[in-house]
Amino acid sequence: MAWEAPSPDRFTADVLREAFLAIADEMFVSLQRTSQSPVVYEVLDFAVGLTDARGELVCQGNGVAGFLGPLGEVVREALQRSPDLRPGDVVAANDPYTGGGTHLSDVAVVRPVFFGDHLVGLAAAKGHFTEVGGKDPGSWTADSTEVFQEGLQLPFVRVVRGGEWDRDLLAVIRANSRLPDMVEGDLRAHVACLEVAERRLLELCRRYGTEVVTGAMGQALDRGEHLARVALGRLRPGVFEAEDGIDDDGLGHGPFPVRVRVEVDGSGVRCDFSGSHPQVPGPVNCSRSGLVSGVRTVYKALTDPQEPANDGWFRPLSVVCPSGTVFTAERPAAVAAYFEATEMATDLVWKALAPAYPDLLPAGSFLSVCSTSVALEHPDTGEPALLVEPQAGGWGATGTADGQHGLVSVGDGETYVIPVEVAEQRYGILVERFGLDVVEGAGAGHHRGGRGLRREYRVLSDQALLTVAFGRHRFPPWGVAGGRAGSCNYVEVVPADGSEPRRFGKVARMALRRGDLVRLVTGTGGGYGDPLSRPRSLVAEDLADGLVTEEEARHVYGWDG
Amino acid sequence: MKDTAAGPRGERCRLAVDIGGTFTDLVAVVGEGRSARVARSKADTTPGGLEDGVMAALKVAGLPASTVSVFVHGTTVVINAITERRGARTALVTTEGFRDLLEIGRANRPDLYNLAYRKPRPLVPRRLCYEVAERISYRGRVLQPLEDRAVEELVEPIRAAGVEAVAVCFLHSWANPRHEARAAALLRERLDVPVLASHQVSGQWREYERASTTVLSAYAQPVVSTYLGSLARRLRAEGVAAPSYAMSSNGGVCSFDRARANPIRLLESGPVAGVVASAQLGKRMGAGDILSLDIGGTTAKTSAVLGGGVRVERGYRIEASPLSAGYPVQAPIVDIVEIGAGGGSVAWVDPAAGLHVGPSSAGADPGPACYGRGGTAPTLTDANLLTGRLDPLYFLGGAMGLDLQAAEEALARLGQQMGVGAGEAARGVLRVAVAQMTRALRLVTLRRGHDPRRFTLVAHGGAGPLHAALLARDLGIPRVAVPPGPGHFSAFGMLAGGLRADAVRTRVGRLAPGPLQDLMASLDTEALEELGAAGTGASLERHVELRYLGQEHTLEIPLRPGVEGEALVSGLREDFDRTSRQAYALELPGVPLEMVGARVSATAPADPVPWGASRQALQEGVGEPAEDRRVVDLDQQGGVVEVAVLGRSGLEPGRELQGPCIVEEPAATTLVLPGQRAWADPDGNLILEEA
Repeated sequence: MAWEAPSPDRFTADVLREAFLAIADEMFVSLQRTSQSPVVYEVLDFAVGLTDARGELVCQGNGVAGFLGPLGEVVREALQRSPDLRPGDVVAANDPYTGGGTHLSDVAVVRPVFFGDHLVGLAAAKGHFTEVGGKDPGSWTADSTEVFQEGLQLPFVRVVRGGEWDRDLLAVIRANSRLPDMVEGDLRAHVACLEVAERRLLELCRRYGTEVVTGAMGQALDRGEHLARVALGRLRPGVFEAEDGIDDDGLGHGPFPVRVRVEVDGSGVRCDFSGSHPQVPGPVNCSRSGLVSGVRTVYKALTDPQEPANDGWFRPLSVVCPSGTVFTAERPAAVAAYFEATEMATDLVWKALAPAYPDLLPAGSFLSVCSTSVALEHPDTGEPALLVEPQAGGWGATGTADGQHGLVSVGDGETYVIPVEVAEQRYGILVERFGLDVVEGAGAGHHRGGRGLRREYRVLSDQALLTVAFGRHRFPPWGVAGGRAGSCNYVEVVPADGSEPRRFGKVARMALRRGDLVRLVTGTGGGYGDPLSRPRSLVAEDLADGLVTEEEARHVYGWDG
Repeated sequence: MKDTAAGPRGERCRLAVDIGGTFTDLVAVVGEGRSARVARSKADTTPGGLEDGVMAALKVAGLPASTVSVFVHGTTVVINAITERRGARTALVTTEGFRDLLEIGRANRPDLYNLAYRKPRPLVPRRLCYEVAERISYRGRVLQPLEDRAVEELVEPIRAAGVEAVAVCFLHSWANPRHEARAAALLRERLDVPVLASHQVSGQWREYERASTTVLSAYAQPVVSTYLGSLARRLRAEGVAAPSYAMSSNGGVCSFDRARANPIRLLESGPVAGVVASAQLGKRMGAGDILSLDIGGTTAKTSAVLGGGVRVERGYRIEASPLSAGYPVQAPIVDIVEIGAGGGSVAWVDPAAGLHVGPSSAGADPGPACYGRGGTAPTLTDANLLTGRLDPLYFLGGAMGLDLQAAEEALARLGQQMGVGAGEAARGVLRVAVAQMTRALRLVTLRRGHDPRRFTLVAHGGAGPLHAALLARDLGIPRVAVPPGPGHFSAFGMLAGGLRADAVRTRVGRLAPGPLQDLMASLDTEALEELGAAGTGASLERHVELRYLGQEHTLEIPLRPGVEGEALVSGLREDFDRTSRQAYALELPGVPLEMVGARVSATAPADPVPWGASRQALQEGVGEPAEDRRVVDLDQQGGVVEVAVLGRSGLEPGRELQGPCIVEEPAATTLVLPGQRAWADPDGNLILEEA
């Protein structure tokens, strides 16, 4: 084909910026299509991206809000540990405590891209593998006490050398998983998407020359930084603080107080988590990577939610926290449910800043992924079935609008709740109700918090095992500017035998019997502003829509109609 | 504007009218067999009353009304009613415990980092969502019987609330519609507003998607009914006595009555016709896989057509974008991806001096700066004009003059923000627009598991042929086809698609010959019944939705015709394994297959459209420019050069053009790049290939 080499000029960077994003798109599609883990192809719990030769993330594709940070970190750690990386090598890592680590289920792979003998960049992918061993099936657990119970650890090891898989290492990985085919399939799918990235990046190098391509990477990073600074410049500067608590650690300890101090000014955002609780025995700790990732989510929302993220974007952000806290846990702390702490880090910064930037940051939300798993035997087919799902809940009101009813948590994103008709067929349970949960007075405000949801499962099989991790079980979503707090998340089990119902936030492998009812209830989000100032017409509409009770309208909103 | 003269009195003609955002296009096939000709006309779209534009296009074409033998209509009336929120005050009646179906939706947050994200507001407010005590299991068994009284009690509140349309959606009506049908019948008897039951709209599971579809259809029903009724009356008044059909989203046509009964069928009424036409063109050319690309004023619409058949997709959502979850539609809709880049897309500079094109558009009004209708924003059309790729005197065949100076001023203002002149800004806009479209097109094919380099690009719409060569080169697509009258290609497609009915149903269970054949037989009957008398001799296409047991994702596998029993199942197994390997690089030999549902499409083909006649029509065409040369800025594809400009009708078969050159015809301009060659095939399609 007659290709004239384009001269690098003012628009080449614009064109290459699209081309880099196209590479991330393609990696994303490749991984989604080839992965065998539903958590990857359904929940989109993964991220892919491309870094420059120093490990600065140039572009990224992701389906959930988390993972804003680990890719660059894992590449930099890989470069540091393996300075002799060669073409065709792939490094795998899931160490939770360094280099972008989260928990063992999230495995990252990194591949250097050489044009000739020139390292032009690295491709990286990190996703949730269904089974990496550990004490409980599925590796995720609510009651581990050290990392050794949570699965196989991959401390930056080369699974592929010069294009050849290390068969011995693969055998070790397979031997440590309850689903060896699936773990190998996941690993291969992740590696395959790196090859896609390599192919495309090399095409760009051939077409534009490596200098132009690497130059455009630098420009993309500088551009991200510049746009972030422009956005920060529009924010009112200030120093903000917040405190809150993590309910418990799944082993009966807690609550654990946590706090943050946030400084915002034209030069950047500094978040200091000093004074937060030391790391805890149960698996609700996160490592520094989890902390940074959690903070980046709010920072991104504050600066520009839609502009593609890269590491330049985050240059004006610094995160301070002493080591060994629940946010900066060290080996061998349990981290299987690390998202509890990561979400709390997000929420703390959010809580500190929401009063100052109420259009960008709503009042508190139900926050927790509210992971739910029910293991049972399908009553109609007799086959084992495992329901695993996040719950959706209420979000807080902003300075200009009511909160949203029933949305997935901040840690999720393009994540879908399972249809009632599909759940009943697949898992042989009866869904008796799925609707808004109207809690009197919760989330009241000039703008009202969105309602949480109530999902009720009737167990139809002889027995079932319930595992849940519902955060914000003790500390409700917070209100802003005189808006009321929302309500707590909880699970209630109503036994068929008429014994007392039990209410809790976390439980591991609780035995259920035929006829038992499980109520999964998520919180209403926080309100904004004084409920007494809510216009009467809106209170009337809420009454007509059954979103507030008459009692609540009278007593909380001063309704006298 | 009109392309050809009408035929002599007495010759029958088939008419298609397609309403777009800017123009209402008319295509007529006049006469039969070898003497058939194609006529085209255009009129302004009249948003206030769309039927006015239809009648105007008819008048421009100058065809005697009495000769019209069939009338096919593509209309935006449904999508407009929905996106402009002009639908009926609608109520939803659903199973007790599930009143909040619409409020909850699927609870996803596509705009990941926007913590102030707002879901699309349900079209039915919560106060108009009613519950009825009843329950059916996923196996179709009655768990709690429906009592008539429970439904009757809703009549008064619904009437009192001033409701204009009702949607009924009960859980598992896909497995057993008895309760839902009974409730709908009771409401119909007692209310004088349309009542739609979800099982009549969709036989598939997923209650939110089914309810959403039913609500959308009910919401649009009164508007559509009024419009089609009024159009039919006006056609009759003009003397058009022919049967009338509406272009349906599934790629076929249906009667006005069918369309009125379930208006959501007409959702993508216009755009799918362009895909149908591309698919047929591809088949005729023997081209294999086709990428249909229709670039209009505000957006580009693209569809991958594999192996000659239009793809029908299931995951359609109205108003879905990276910023919004949109509203799902569970109906067979030809798989089209819309890209926010068209001729009117506005170029802008971000605070880091990065250049972007779209997604905001100047639309038709005020339109690009060069339209001279008061628009000042620099658009893609302005950039094409300033670089000489468009001729200011020959836009829409000279029917509309373009203001070169206004375009230059708009681009100069854009350039100032980047420290470059108007010319450089125009080149930048074109480069960025092509990069953005390339990225989107690549994704369309890759998401469906295919490498774009295998495709033939069929470029149509007003701006498709202008960008096709650049896009094809960028994507590595070896061949481009530009049909005659690319601006009317969608309307042409309406005459090419036959009557079509799809029957789709969810049935979950291990794949076995008995249940599969039972399901297929009942879907065959359902699809053929819908076609009615016209269905005699219809061809049936059958697909089964399959997955490996334990998987969530399904693949739709065509049923081999004429195979039965165990051979049927083993054939499906082979085909499924192969498709899975191709699509997901995944094959699980030992794992049993699960059937999730099936689809039967019945098509009664339309009378053949005269492809070759298009070329004949062109030769009779009026208003094409004489051969000429003009200076064009081809930027990275050869710089500023003088290129040959040819009228398309002067391009006889056998004459080969060498790029760079420009081929012009009314309503479209085709750019051929240096290093490419172009020629007209026997049907008059302009073919571009790398030399």
